[in-house]
Amino acid sequence: MKIKENINNFITDNASFIFSVPAVLWQVLFLYVPFFFVLYTSFKRVTDSFGFDLTCDNYRAVLSSPYFYIIARSAFIASGVTFLCLICAYPLAYFLALKVDRRWKNVLLFLLTLPFWTNFLIQIYSWVFVLDHNGLINMVLLKVGFIQEPLHMINNMGAVFFVMLYYYLPFMIMPLYSILEKIQHDLLEASMDLGATHWQTFRRITVPLSMAGIKTGVFLVFVPAFGEFVIPSVIGGGHHMLVGSLISHYFLVVRDNQLGAAFTIVSGFVLLVCALLFNWLCVVPSQQVQKELAQ
Amino acid sequence: MRNIRFDKITKHYQGDLILDKLSLEIPGGAFFALLGPSGSGKTTLLRLIAGLEEADSGSIFLGDSDITHMPIYKRRVNTVFQNYALFPHMDVFDNVAYSLSIRNIPKDIIKEKVIKILKTVDLDKHIYKSIHNLSGGQKQRVALARAIINEPDVLLLDEPLAALDLKLREKMLIELIDLQATLKTTFVYVTHDQFEALTVADHMAIMNHDGEIEQVGTPKEIYEFPVSTFVAAFVGTTNLLKGVLHIAGEQFHVEFSGLGMFEVVGSKEKEWMRNGNTIFVSLRPEKIDISKTPMTGFSNGLEGIVQSIVYHGRSTQYNVQLKNGEIVQVFEQNEEHFPQEIIDYDDPVFLYWQKENVVLLEK
Repeated sequence: MKIKENINNFITDNASFIFSVPAVLWQVLFLYVPFFFVLYTSFKRVTDSFGFDLTCDNYRAVLSSPYFYIIARSAFIASGVTFLCLICAYPLAYFLALKVDRRWKNVLLFLLTLPFWTNFLIQIYSWVFVLDHNGLINMVLLKVGFIQEPLHMINNMGAVFFVMLYYYLPFMIMPLYSILEKIQHDLLEASMDLGATHWQTFRRITVPLSMAGIKTGVFLVFVPAFGEFVIPSVIGGGHHMLVGSLISHYFLVVRDNQLGAAFTIVSGFVLLVCALLFNWLCVVPSQQVQKELAQ
Repeated sequence: MRNIRFDKITKHYQGDLILDKLSLEIPGGAFFALLGPSGSGKTTLLRLIAGLEEADSGSIFLGDSDITHMPIYKRRVNTVFQNYALFPHMDVFDNVAYSLSIRNIPKDIIKEKVIKILKTVDLDKHIYKSIHNLSGGQKQRVALARAIINEPDVLLLDEPLAALDLKLREKMLIELIDLQATLKTTFVYVTHDQFEALTVADHMAIMNHDGEIEQVGTPKEIYEFPVSTFVAAFVGTTNLLKGVLHIAGEQFHVEFSGLGMFEVVGSKEKEWMRNGNTIFVSLRPEKIDISKTPMTGFSNGLEGIVQSIVYHGRSTQYNVQLKNGEIVQVFEQNEEHFPQEIIDYDDPVFLYWQKENVVLLEK
């Protein structure tokens, strides 16, 4: 009896700990352990089959690699995609959250999630059929007589950029929508009542209050866009690699695990720097405003 | 001080008619209460002044200027919102400074003004506190300070004390009265609570369920001389008795069925005060004297049986059943610890009142 009671007490007292065990285990097994392996591989000497003869040669190889610029290109493309996503998504989410009638809201949200009902690869391949030389757009334009020669709309960086924008847009809209919807309408009314115009209200109330959504959306788009390798290989025809394609190329084609791992770590580091930079960018303006007023 | 004048304002909301050709004048510099049950359109009226809603037809004037279609941010009108609507990402200072900071006013002037206004609402110790760390009463004061800092012509208050407990509410009511006396700004105070309205207002309007103004006047006029059974019953407590008017020469009597004739004060000038008309008599519970023994000197008296007693502290409410089955409420001040006469359940009692203290109502 006593033992049973003790066990019960232990469970109720440590409930939050006990219930978090599976999640922590999952994270350790499938995130930290593999990450450690990647880290270990990146420092491993190529000749050393199994051991602890560690070296920085792989990193030297990465930094002097002719493909190093691909990391920079990935960061640049991902930033561009994220920025354009934000520009396109914000008005859409704003409109959806604050202006659309309740009855239509659910219909529009449903339409927004519709792409997710289709497999990612199928979505991307369908763009090939749209943008291809004998694809939908060229066919129509030729038929109408708008153009004589088919346009080159695929296998270039622009197409990769465009399709990435298409694919990641909902990931930006969703967090923005959910946070904008929570903004209490009377705050906007109070701002206008106190003499602020629509634009001032937007800048001083709406944007700061939706900052958490902006951050979430930016990370949700930037991180996967940085490592994207399916869209560049399908739409870019393999000639316009991003860092994801490069890493998978090292692991799967060249079978140089050490260099692949080193590239992974370096690009992860770049990602981290970008994230910190963005976080700092978000914090500075709001602090600036507060400081100005506090003085 | 500029008057606010509504001229035949009509407003629909989601297909429902809220206000129908409503006209009302709010005197400048007044502490004006708009009292009505929920859904009476009093908040809509307030939002029309603020510019948060636009009228379908009719016009609103502030002094001589027509503000019907003036954009909200150009109106010299500020609002204290029901749930305060404080900006959660700003501290007390920034909230209060908001209306000044968007006007590009120099920072030192802003700071000076904010500190001054926070002193008047007794919040100068909490200038840089986050909004989230304030109590309900403090939030209320921030909302107030934020609304008055820009010295508006009109301050609108939309059930501002609804979220506060009774003691704090009573304190804030007194502070609001003092504040209005100091600022001399027109305050328009919307509430469904007749106690609040009677306490703060020097003028008030009563709105009914259909969005019509039933009566405008001072609290005393409205309480003592209501013009309809709605006003009589909504403001304070009253006994409404239906009877038939009998006029003989200058003598007015009302006959209540099963109770007999009672003296009232009437006027022949009123269209509806005609011999044989059915009317209502409003008899306030505190204007009735209750006793177990017969008394003299009153123009009217009734007999009944005490059916229930509700003890309120300062007064006791007796619900007395009359011979015709109707229940009449009577309030008695509890003036003594040990009253000479103790009235208990089922006691037969006499009720007395003076004819001047009742109000005759058409409907």
